Amino acid sequence: MRLTLPIVIAGLALAAPAGAQDTDPRLVVREVVRTATARAYQGRNAGQEQTERISRKLRVGRDGRVTIANISGEIAVTGGGGDEVSIEAVKRTRGDRSELANVEVVIEERAGRVEIRAEHTRFRDRRGRGDSASVDFTVTVPASASVDAHSVSGSVKVSGVRGSVRAESVSGNVTTTDTPNLELAKSVSGDVSLTGAAADGDLTAGSVSGDITAKGLKARGLDLNSVSGDVLLTDVACERLTVKSVSGNIEYTGTIVRTGRYEINTHSGDVRLTLSNPPGFELTANSFSGSVRSDLPLTIGGNSGDDRGRGRERHNMRATFGDGSATLSIRTFSGGIVIARR
Amino acid sequence: MTARQQRPTLPFPSKEATVSPEDLVAQCQAGNVDAFETLYHQHAARLYTLACRMAGSPEDGEDLLQEIFLQAYRKLGSFKGDAAIGTWLYRLALNHCLDYVRSRQAKMNKLTDTLDAETSIQPTARRETPIARLDLERAVERLPDGCREAFVLHDVEGFDHKEVGRLLGIAEGTSKSQVFKARMKLRALLGRA
Amino acid sequence: MHPTETAINDYVDGTSDPFERNAIDEHLAACAACRQLVEDLRELKSATATLELRPPPVRAWGRIERAIRLEQRDRPRAVFPSVKSLYWLGAAAAIVLAALIFPRFLPGRAPAGGDEPAEMSASARQAAEAIESELRLAESHYENAIKGLEAAAKSDQDALDPGTAATLQKNLAVIDQAISESRAAMRAQPTSEPAQQSLIENFKTKIALLQDTVALINEMRKGNEAGAARIVSGLKNKG
Repeated sequence: MRLTLPIVIAGLALAAPAGAQDTDPRLVVREVVRTATARAYQGRNAGQEQTERISRKLRVGRDGRVTIANISGEIAVTGGGGDEVSIEAVKRTRGDRSELANVEVVIEERAGRVEIRAEHTRFRDRRGRGDSASVDFTVTVPASASVDAHSVSGSVKVSGVRGSVRAESVSGNVTTTDTPNLELAKSVSGDVSLTGAAADGDLTAGSVSGDITAKGLKARGLDLNSVSGDVLLTDVACERLTVKSVSGNIEYTGTIVRTGRYEINTHSGDVRLTLSNPPGFELTANSFSGSVRSDLPLTIGGNSGDDRGRGRERHNMRATFGDGSATLSIRTFSGGIVIARR
Repeated sequence: MTARQQRPTLPFPSKEATVSPEDLVAQCQAGNVDAFETLYHQHAARLYTLACRMAGSPEDGEDLLQEIFLQAYRKLGSFKGDAAIGTWLYRLALNHCLDYVRSRQAKMNKLTDTLDAETSIQPTARRETPIARLDLERAVERLPDGCREAFVLHDVEGFDHKEVGRLLGIAEGTSKSQVFKARMKLRALLGRA
Repeated sequence: MHPTETAINDYVDGTSDPFERNAIDEHLAACAACRQLVEDLRELKSATATLELRPPPVRAWGRIERAIRLEQRDRPRAVFPSVKSLYWLGAAAAIVLAALIFPRFLPGRAPAGGDEPAEMSASARQAAEAIESELRLAESHYENAIKGLEAAAKSDQDALDPGTAATLQKNLAVIDQAISESRAAMRAQPTSEPAQQSLIENFKTKIALLQDTVALINEMRKGNEAGAARIVSGLKNKG
């Protein structure tokens, strides 16, 4: 049987609200959901998963902010209707049921904000010994809330959230869908997959070994970074772009704008830029040993004439297309560069 | 980052020889790029700082800085010496920043008075540590377009509300309320709400 | 009845009329919340007064110079040749290297538009050599920074879980491979700009990854694992 601690109010009295001015925004309502351990010992059940489910519903307001911090386990956030946050946390362990007590689910409620955390109470040996409990969070938030979700070893998924979104994991994948205000999506070893992502300002996405894949990406500034992963962008539009990889390929299929600045950099990966109806741009494409090719009719240097069919491989190209208003800078070391027309 | 760059010595004439401001400007006007570089180093930090804060990000600030100095190079011929070169550069930079801000606003079609609906910035837990400069700098960058420029011009650069209104093309009362909104947002961002 | 926040704002700025000021003084004597607000706004004002100038990135001048050169090409004026040398900034925790800017008349460089000024003097050749030796100097600075970070990263590898540690190691090896390719290219073609640029970029990438690794380790060690996930968003300076 589960023992739930009563709601703990952190040191401040609840004042009867007499007007917006009087509500103390520092009021924190903190709930720690613990598992009673005394009666829970059920013998070792190695291999069989023990779970415990916790459900909560809280009001946060349509534009509230929700933070979810997990250590071991997944996070899935979905934007729904209304102004409630609905939390489902499932603790899991493959060890003894009593191990579920090693992780606490902490829910803190502040004015307009909810903070959800998994806290491990026992020392965690990084080599994996000791605590073997994890928590999976499934959270529904108001569609226009802001979400900040991060897990150390677990995937993070955010879907249909219209407020600002930040999603990170160290070893898990990060997946976002329909997020018109995505600020940050990062992982170290996981993949980052964005569908229908946008930002009014700048959007940063990165992984060290994982791929960054985006379908439908629109932002003012894009900053995308991987070391060994590919960066594959389809249906992308932005005013300023910085994309870097070391060994991964980079593909950009989309549009550029008149005075935009676009920088693409990879060492051994290939770069493929496919533009639909591009405005004029000035291109500087350089490779040490890779080939540079354009399917668009470009004015190379000061001389007109296109480069197709010459049969000679070039390693660099400075060229103008149209009125040369946008700036494209593409560099590789050994990878090939192709500028294609859609 | 240090303000001065460390350069190894090169077998070329020193660029650091002290030159009077008038001579420096004259050299720049004659097309001496080295002299222009010296001028750049003398004034870049001031103008870059202004550009970053007005534009709201160091990346935009850097782009603006380039445009500002390129324009300065082009227009230097018309500088008559009736003001200090630093003042002339500042005015040029400020105008450039304002143009940038205005064109961006037009592009993004955002009204400066919709801050009440802007709630993606929420107060963090109250902290009692003093406000660190870097935190404040970052918080200023995070201010929404509209109130940020008013705040920078009034609270940082020291223009009064009438001047801010004239520069931004808004009423004096609007400048006041924008600066005030910016202060409240900063207060929240810095953990004071 | 609290004064409006606008009134308090004016009060803090010293622009309320005397009548208003007295009314607020009286109110503040009795209201802690408003006192707090006034104190906060005053603190903000004094913090704002301490904001400092921010130096632009080192690469900024190079870009401006290049733009000016393009202008001069289109509208020629008297030009004094200016040879750029290599800049680098050393700092306790990070090394930032500006992009290498070469004058258009550097020998061996692929001409971009075929319309270079004819003067290619002994001084230009001297410049090329000076630049190469500076590049070697910069390389050794980078390597020292890297050694320091590597030591920090290795000493506490157990703070990271084995999977993450392995990923980071593997990717450091990818970057090392890229660095050695760039080096080989530079040995073969010392004046090749793509080769030099790639070497510098790879150094920067390596340092950035090491910095992130060290930061991640620090957070893990502190037991702040949830904070560790935030570290992933890159505390390093960009540029």
